[in-house]
Amino acid sequence: MQTKKSSKPLYALLIEHREIPLLAVLILLLVGVSIRVPGYIPNNYVNILKNGSINMVMACGMLCVLLVGSIDISITAVLAFSGALIGKLMGLGVLQSTLLAFLLAIVVGIVVGLVNGLLMSYGRVISIIVTLSTSYIVRALIPMSWMLGMNKVAPTDLAPGFKTVLNQNLTLGPLTLPYLALLAAAVVIVTGIFLKYTKTGRNLYAVGSNAEAAQMRGVHINRVKILAHVICGATAGLAGAMWLAFYNAIEKGSAEGNEMFTIAACVLGGVSVTGGYGKITGVVIGAVMIAVIDQAIPLLGFRNKMITEFIKGILLLFAILLNVILQRIADKQALARRNI
Amino acid sequence: MKKNKVASFFLRWEFLLVALLVLMCVVFNLQDAARVASGAARKDVFNLPNVMRGLRPYMLYSFMTMGVMLILAMGDIDISTGAIATLSVVVLGALYNLMGGGPVALVISIIACLATGSLCGAINGFLVTRFKELFPMIITLATQLFFRGFGYLLIGGSTLTFDSTFGVLSKTYELVDIFGLKVPIMVLIFLAVAVVFYVWLHLTSGGRKIFAIGTNATTARYSGLRVDAIKMFCFTLTGFMCAVTGIFFVGANSSSIKADLMDGYHMYAIAAAVLGGFSTDGGKGSVIGAVLSLFIFGIVKIGLGTLFGFADSAVNLAVGVILILSVLIPNISEDLSKYMRVRKQRAETAAAKAAH
Repeated sequence: MQTKKSSKPLYALLIEHREIPLLAVLILLLVGVSIRVPGYIPNNYVNILKNGSINMVMACGMLCVLLVGSIDISITAVLAFSGALIGKLMGLGVLQSTLLAFLLAIVVGIVVGLVNGLLMSYGRVISIIVTLSTSYIVRALIPMSWMLGMNKVAPTDLAPGFKTVLNQNLTLGPLTLPYLALLAAAVVIVTGIFLKYTKTGRNLYAVGSNAEAAQMRGVHINRVKILAHVICGATAGLAGAMWLAFYNAIEKGSAEGNEMFTIAACVLGGVSVTGGYGKITGVVIGAVMIAVIDQAIPLLGFRNKMITEFIKGILLLFAILLNVILQRIADKQALARRNI
Repeated sequence: MKKNKVASFFLRWEFLLVALLVLMCVVFNLQDAARVASGAARKDVFNLPNVMRGLRPYMLYSFMTMGVMLILAMGDIDISTGAIATLSVVVLGALYNLMGGGPVALVISIIACLATGSLCGAINGFLVTRFKELFPMIITLATQLFFRGFGYLLIGGSTLTFDSTFGVLSKTYELVDIFGLKVPIMVLIFLAVAVVFYVWLHLTSGGRKIFAIGTNATTARYSGLRVDAIKMFCFTLTGFMCAVTGIFFVGANSSSIKADLMDGYHMYAIAAAVLGGFSTDGGKGSVIGAVLSLFIFGIVKIGLGTLFGFADSAVNLAVGVILILSVLIPNISEDLSKYMRVRKQRAETAAAKAAH
């Protein structure tokens, strides 16, 4: 009797919080790397935060889209497009204000997200096909030699204020926090509050887990889906401005293929790709994990991008399979307890 | 009744694709003639021999599309196809050089290449059927990274080069004379393969089973289909077709092999299959449509690139627009016809009420 009672919280906890096994993997990874590379965390946490932030921002938007049961693979195209657009406008001298640049980037993202959402909800086109097409289209618009005469944005194009705005650090005693990471943290907190405590945010979960039931309750499914895509587009646009402000350069092929790592961050964090389940904490852990892997592998002696991706692939597979297996064990135990 | 049959024949997706193909050819021919007439070009370039020659690079991923098509018909998705093709040609090249060259080595390494592709496909199939909680896209994303990295581990960043016996492979990229028209060998082989796929997928019960799984996997299982075995087989076959694509790619690329040979090919294959009427929801699509859409993509790229002088990115833009419209237009026309029917019914009821 006693053992049964003590075993209950463990798998109940696992069912409730799918991100716990992931947290264990992350800690194991950090410990392993720290043993191989002494002083890894104190020396590198700033870089981990910096490199993870952009992916983290996009992952917040991706979470919303995955929650309603669709997917968006046009985010990196939006990132490159919005960054290139504001960069070029700055180069032409039209746009000087940093705030306006960020807002414009977000608006660009919202427009693309709105198009995605309209096509997928009212046009009833499957989201992966819509966003595959829009990623072709949006990326094709980037060179715009016929529009603004640009091929890529160089640091000389940018306004001086914009160049430095995100490359500063906030020093809190012994801690150094890059502004980039603070911005990402703000996005994470806003998304978390939106998803957990607002009615609209809960509607995303409702539509994802059972659309028909949600409709019976009076939720406009199509509007909610469009909203999710708009949020995702907005975060992608913001990520474009962040990318430009951080790297000070952007071109046609920037971040190509990175959308898969954004999706991977979400899936690692226990978000269900069929919709209805997912937590912001899991997404944060997933994004941090990918950033840690990115930073750690070169320090372990593999300086090649392909090898990094190879190890990332193995870890991704390992983590998601572990998640599934643990879930199955937990389900089985729960079933056994009900004596069916 | 008969009229409906005729109408439905003309509204079939394959017929619309043929119409699109013809329309494109007419537009490109007119543009060609205009260019000759205005003196911008000395002679016409958009003729059959040139198109046949120019189609070759765009037909490379045709074999892969045949495999991706099966997977889409089952309602799954595979984004590791490009990586599988790359890994299998890396195995081909590495084994050939390891064995010191010669015809025997070539045959053995080609067999190894096909086996590698099938094995990779089987790994995907195993994971997809064993871990049904996971979306196939996530699994194949992980295996894509894995296969790509594995190819890199085998040969590093170097470019493999080969002796003259290996040059036999580039024969696959050559043209052959048929009734005075020079046709690429690759296209002929592809058409033969497509006929086999057509017969299998549309005319035998084995192929119908795949569509049944795509329409409703649970029902298919309850009606006695071995869903997992069929899925496993289809993923393995896709891996095999990827390896075939890889061999043709080596032939086209003057027989040099690098570890990032075919990155991004999976998206072309998926785009071609989707335009051909397949959908990630599964259960529909036709081989003829997929073959036509491969030709359409090829001709769009040739026409916009050489005749209108558009940059590569503008061609991608056209591909994106075609892709969206190809799925959007049937949906909208369906909605519209439903709306018209409802309105007609309402008008009739109103008229009946007024008559009373």
